[in-house]
Amino acid sequence: MDPIAVTIALNIIYEITTLFVIVLGLAIVFGLLKVMNLAHGEFIMVGAYAAYFCQDQGWPYIMAIPFALFIAAILGYLIEFTLIRHLYRRPFDTLLVTWGLSFLLREVIELVYGKGFQSLSNPIPGSIDVLGEPYPSYRALVMVIAILSVLVLWVWYRRSLTGARVKAMVENPELARAVGIRVDNLARHTFVVGTCFGALAGVMLAPLTRVEPFMGLDYILTSFFVLVVGGVGTILGLSSGAGVIGGVQSVVSNLFGETSGYFGVLLIAILFLWLKPNGLISRS
Amino acid sequence: MTSPIYSFDGVTGGYGGGIVVNDVSGCVEQGQVLFVLGRNGVGKSTLLHLLFGYLQLIRGSVRFKQMDLVGKKPEEMSSLGITFCPQERVVFGELSVLENLILMRGNRDITHLEGYFEHFPILAERLSQDAGTLSGGERKILSFVRALSEGRELLMLDEPTEGVQRENILHIAQLIRERKKSGATFVIVEQNLELLDEVGDHVLVMDQGKVMISSRKDLISREDIVRHLGV
Repeated sequence: MDPIAVTIALNIIYEITTLFVIVLGLAIVFGLLKVMNLAHGEFIMVGAYAAYFCQDQGWPYIMAIPFALFIAAILGYLIEFTLIRHLYRRPFDTLLVTWGLSFLLREVIELVYGKGFQSLSNPIPGSIDVLGEPYPSYRALVMVIAILSVLVLWVWYRRSLTGARVKAMVENPELARAVGIRVDNLARHTFVVGTCFGALAGVMLAPLTRVEPFMGLDYILTSFFVLVVGGVGTILGLSSGAGVIGGVQSVVSNLFGETSGYFGVLLIAILFLWLKPNGLISRS
Repeated sequence: MTSPIYSFDGVTGGYGGGIVVNDVSGCVEQGQVLFVLGRNGVGKSTLLHLLFGYLQLIRGSVRFKQMDLVGKKPEEMSSLGITFCPQERVVFGELSVLENLILMRGNRDITHLEGYFEHFPILAERLSQDAGTLSGGERKILSFVRALSEGRELLMLDEPTEGVQRENILHIAQLIRERKKSGATFVIVEQNLELLDEVGDHVLVMDQGKVMISSRKDLISREDIVRHLGV
């Protein structure tokens, strides 16, 4: 096989899968609770800083996962309990609140670690052979974990009774309460699952990116584009959104440079908002 | 005379602070069925929503087995032994028939449902289908079986026979009779008098949010009831 083609293909797949993990938490919270969490990027940032903290302490990198999840869960519960739960079915208010929250989280991190970049060392240096081409091991692992975690989540949501209860709560909250579903608690857990996926994305991406207080802004922006293109409410929509946005960004950046990549994504998002506002695949 | 297992007194309330239901009282003894009758829009469903905790009472009390239910939320009712079938949007359309029936159980075992499937084989045939594909009457049956299979002591049903074929109404009546014998109590809102004839014990007829008749069924004539239903 053409070595350049293999590398480009792998890079596109990498772009799409990481994008998927980045947007997943946001999509869960927005799709199921109708809460647009503008602080989602900051949860990714917190996850990345949690990973930095772990590495700084000299702990094995795998420890960053439970540590980041722990912090994201505590933050998530706290935020849901104090702010979000009062604002369900008030979309504009949740926008404002989570926007303010994103400022707060950035400022807190800045207070502790300063404005500067932190760089993490690659926990799994070296490369592996993919179709005869060397590919960075850690990036390959990130891809595998990303795909696995999405698959597990999807199968769980489709097959488990808890997944069915979440669906029930979303479809018909009144009946859900009648059969004894504690919709308040279930919504809280759902929100926390979203924040935890954000933190997990942060841990996965931290060694591959510059860790700084403002890194979340980039992520929330691209996540929006994915939701705009893919539509909300289905894994398939999310995949196609991540596919289009990640694919365009990766291909155009490769051909014409990074700025053009951003421009291409922006153009696609505008076209979709204009011509297909419900996205490629939306729940009827 | 035995004391009622479930009673409500002076219940007043409605949506958004308005008064739809005004000073409604009633009670039912264990193993009996209280029917709430009346024309469309007289406040029967609102009464059930007030009793089950969806709406806040402005005044009044609700008691079940010496327990004060005022201020309890709908999601707390099942652990207190009470379940509810709404009049509309009666099942989870995006879940399968099976998922609707076992949603709150710990496992996917369905042996406890086989008795119901004998009465309603259509449910057994469509277990893996989305409940949203069922007809209106079939959804009512699914909702009824869901509530019955939860095994609660008090069941509150809002028009369980709406859109259901006569043959299946008789199946519903028979299942209610069996459950009454084992000690369950029912509060049923209805427009259809067939189910009342089959399983009713007490009758509460409402008009414009108030009680018109409150009586044991065998002490009033059907004509009296029909007159208030204003057919």
